[in-house]
Amino acid sequence: MSKIFVDQVDPKTGTSLTLGTSGDTVNIPSGVTLANAGTVTGLPASAISSGTIATARLGSGTASSSTFLRGDQTYAAAGGENTPAFEATRSSDQTLSSSTYAKIQFDAETFDTAGAYDNSTNYRFTIPSGQAGKYYIYASATLSANAQTEFNFGNIVIYKNGSEYRNLISDHRANPVYRPYLAVQAVMVLAVADYIEIYGRVNSGVTPKIQGTNANYFGGYKIIE
Amino acid sequence: MASLSTKVKLYGEASSKTIDFNKDVILQDDSDGNGPYIKEWNVTGLAQPTDADLATYDAAATTDETNNTVKNTRKVAYGDIGDQLDEIFKDIDAWKARIQGIKDANPKS
Repeated sequence: MSKIFVDQVDPKTGTSLTLGTSGDTVNIPSGVTLANAGTVTGLPASAISSGTIATARLGSGTASSSTFLRGDQTYAAAGGENTPAFEATRSSDQTLSSSTYAKIQFDAETFDTAGAYDNSTNYRFTIPSGQAGKYYIYASATLSANAQTEFNFGNIVIYKNGSEYRNLISDHRANPVYRPYLAVQAVMVLAVADYIEIYGRVNSGVTPKIQGTNANYFGGYKIIE
Repeated sequence: MASLSTKVKLYGEASSKTIDFNKDVILQDDSDGNGPYIKEWNVTGLAQPTDADLATYDAAATTDETNNTVKNTRKVAYGDIGDQLDEIFKDIDAWKARIQGIKDANPKS
């Protein structure tokens, strides 16, 4: 094997320089550094067969254990948060007027991440500024006829902006009962300033009520999209 | 004061109308201190009552509601209908005496 000692190799004519012929192998021995300050083209990804590619080479943004690489090659936070979120309960009795839809006064907040639930005046959840989107809304109540065999029918209803949105009825007129538990839920597309309330109703021969139990609750949270 | 639904029911009955609170009349209370009100009135051939109209039924409605409570108290005291049939089969006079005792102890207005 002969050696050529030279400081620079340039093409004799034109601007293209070829090393070897098809089928040849050009070896770069261990310890040799191939320093590139120009442009490398035609290097197939399959040729990278060892080592680890730095995350900064894969995309823009901050790569970390809590981010993932998106299809547009940017790092983004994984998951997201289901907020705003709230839940409130009604632990004491609320007297109803028979056959009358009454707003249920869920007066004790369990949590309210955005301060968007009013638990003292209007008993409603209002979508805060910048938080429009899809929400999962749920509520339940123990609707009591206040006496055995007096509950004829009753409802639990989601109201959106003062109008009925979803109405569940439990009808026992042929065989009246005492105090069924009803639950309602919905995935709702809500805009900023939309408000959600829960109403309940009991048809009873005697004065009915929302019975104060820990089964009375009203909550919701924004769905990650 | 009697409930709005009872007064509406009696107002309808006075004109031979049986009010269905699922479609004829919808009552609502927004829990804002103003009490229940008629949200929808869909009774064919009968005008929506005024507050004055309904006030005339207040006394009768109170009696109706009181009697409903009495009827419920009696019904619970009577017991399961199957047990009562057994009582009747065994001693109808004893059953009649027990029922009469419940009625006497819980008189209607």
